[in-house]
Amino acid sequence: MNTIALLELDQLQVHYGSVQALAGVSLRVNRGEFVCLLGSNGAGKSTTLRAISRLVPATGGEIRWRGGDLAKVPAHRTLRLGIGHCPEGRRLLNRQTVAFNLELGAYLRRDRLGISSDLDRCYALFPRLAERRRQQAGSLSGGEQQMVAIARALMGRPELLMLDEPSLGLAPKLVAEVMGVLEALHKQGQTILLVEQNAQAALEIADRGYVLEAGRLQLEGSAKDLLGDEQLRAAYLGQ
Amino acid sequence: MSAALLQILLNGAASGGVYALVALGYTLIFSVLGVINFAQGALFSLGGYLTFLLMGGRIGVNGALPGWHLPVALPFWMALLLAAIGAGVVALLVERVAFAPLRRRGADPLLSLITSLGAGVVLVNLLQILMGAEGYAFPAGAAALEGLPEALLIGGARIRTVQVVLLLISAGAVAALTVWLERSRTGQAMRAVAEDPTAARLMGIHSGAIVRLAFLLSGMLAGLGGGLIGLSVSLAGPYFGISFGLKGLAVLVLGGLGSVPGAIAGGLLMGLAEALIPSAASGWRDALAFAVLFAVLVLRPSGLLGRRLQEKV
Repeated sequence: MNTIALLELDQLQVHYGSVQALAGVSLRVNRGEFVCLLGSNGAGKSTTLRAISRLVPATGGEIRWRGGDLAKVPAHRTLRLGIGHCPEGRRLLNRQTVAFNLELGAYLRRDRLGISSDLDRCYALFPRLAERRRQQAGSLSGGEQQMVAIARALMGRPELLMLDEPSLGLAPKLVAEVMGVLEALHKQGQTILLVEQNAQAALEIADRGYVLEAGRLQLEGSAKDLLGDEQLRAAYLGQ
Repeated sequence: MSAALLQILLNGAASGGVYALVALGYTLIFSVLGVINFAQGALFSLGGYLTFLLMGGRIGVNGALPGWHLPVALPFWMALLLAAIGAGVVALLVERVAFAPLRRRGADPLLSLITSLGAGVVLVNLLQILMGAEGYAFPAGAAALEGLPEALLIGGARIRTVQVVLLLISAGAVAALTVWLERSRTGQAMRAVAEDPTAARLMGIHSGAIVRLAFLLSGMLAGLGGGLIGLSVSLAGPYFGISFGLKGLAVLVLGGLGSVPGAIAGGLLMGLAEALIPSAASGWRDALAFAVLFAVLVLRPSGLLGRRLQEKV
């Protein structure tokens, strides 16, 4: 059985000026799947997400969303199509309150009741944010800011949730907490594409993984196989 | 309170209101793009001339079409509103030619200071070709404010009715805009674009449309100011808006770059400071205005209500 993938990249290329950031990346994410994209700094992981969100133009290849080409879609339309992006560096509105940031995540939605029940769901997911809802986002700790960023992305009710290094700069205990939340979301049926340097943490909860190196895919496979892969262990898991 | 003091306060608040309008125009664009639109003064002039023409005013002997006038003679209110919309539309055009091409190429935002100044010079010169360099007074003051007396007695102070109209309209516009920015969904989107355009786009906000909206509104504010000053003082040639543009810039810095309450407070402070100078010594008004600016900046480098300038680490 070969169903249409929710998201499919076909030989995707991206250039920054004359520098090639992605040299033909092909991957797919099926509905309900938890896929992680691993690789070291500068491998092109964030660029891949930015290309899917149309923040950077693709210079070659194709991005297909539910079978349709994304090439002509402007960035502000991607969330409307169901692609949520929790970006690198979080990009919160630091001068606004936590609540404002979360409500902004639901900017495109008009269903007041749904929005307020999703707000409650986010506060249940991250109880610490409920206490801080009237505080400026910029005054929160790094871990709390990451929670706001994830919650904000969830408020858009994306069909595909893309996260760019949510564990970056967090203490191990918080990494475990964030990964636990992602695992729970996946169990509830959320499709997730996770970009991570922390390969171990990501593979423990993902279904499948891809490994990117210098703009090319090096490895792909089930999370279990990748966790056991000698090459990957040597390169990323420090063993 | 003595009548004289009340008079000074009301006069100061009236011109302060117009300064606040101009400064708010700068603030809107500064907050979404981080740049100053130097065509703002020219749009101010444009608003004044459009109001004049829409009220049925005739082009003078040095203009392109001497003696010509629009086949309509609208009441002041309507002419002012349409002129503001007209100035807003021209502001969109300025965005198109002076700002958008630079943004598309990822040029240094500072370059738009020059391109917008250029757009302003073109605008003012077009006005001069069309209308000539002479000054214009609005068609018969009575037609402007039909049914209202020339002056009102408020608490023993004699205030020109025009000044009261000026104060009410600018206060109304400022209040409406502030509430709208604070409450509406589009206002929220504007704040989001101001703080992080990329994040805003990921939330589904069309940042290009928000930028254009900011230009439309700021052009309308400038146009409104020009029409009001034209009514209360007269149009002293196509360049008259430029000095208000500069004053608005001073108010912007005085209040704190990018701060809406700052623009309002700065405008009022500037207007009151000027009103303290008796009309016999009116030549000193600008000197005092800029002295106030100087003093505030020495004490508070980020302006009255500006955010402290600090880099996040």
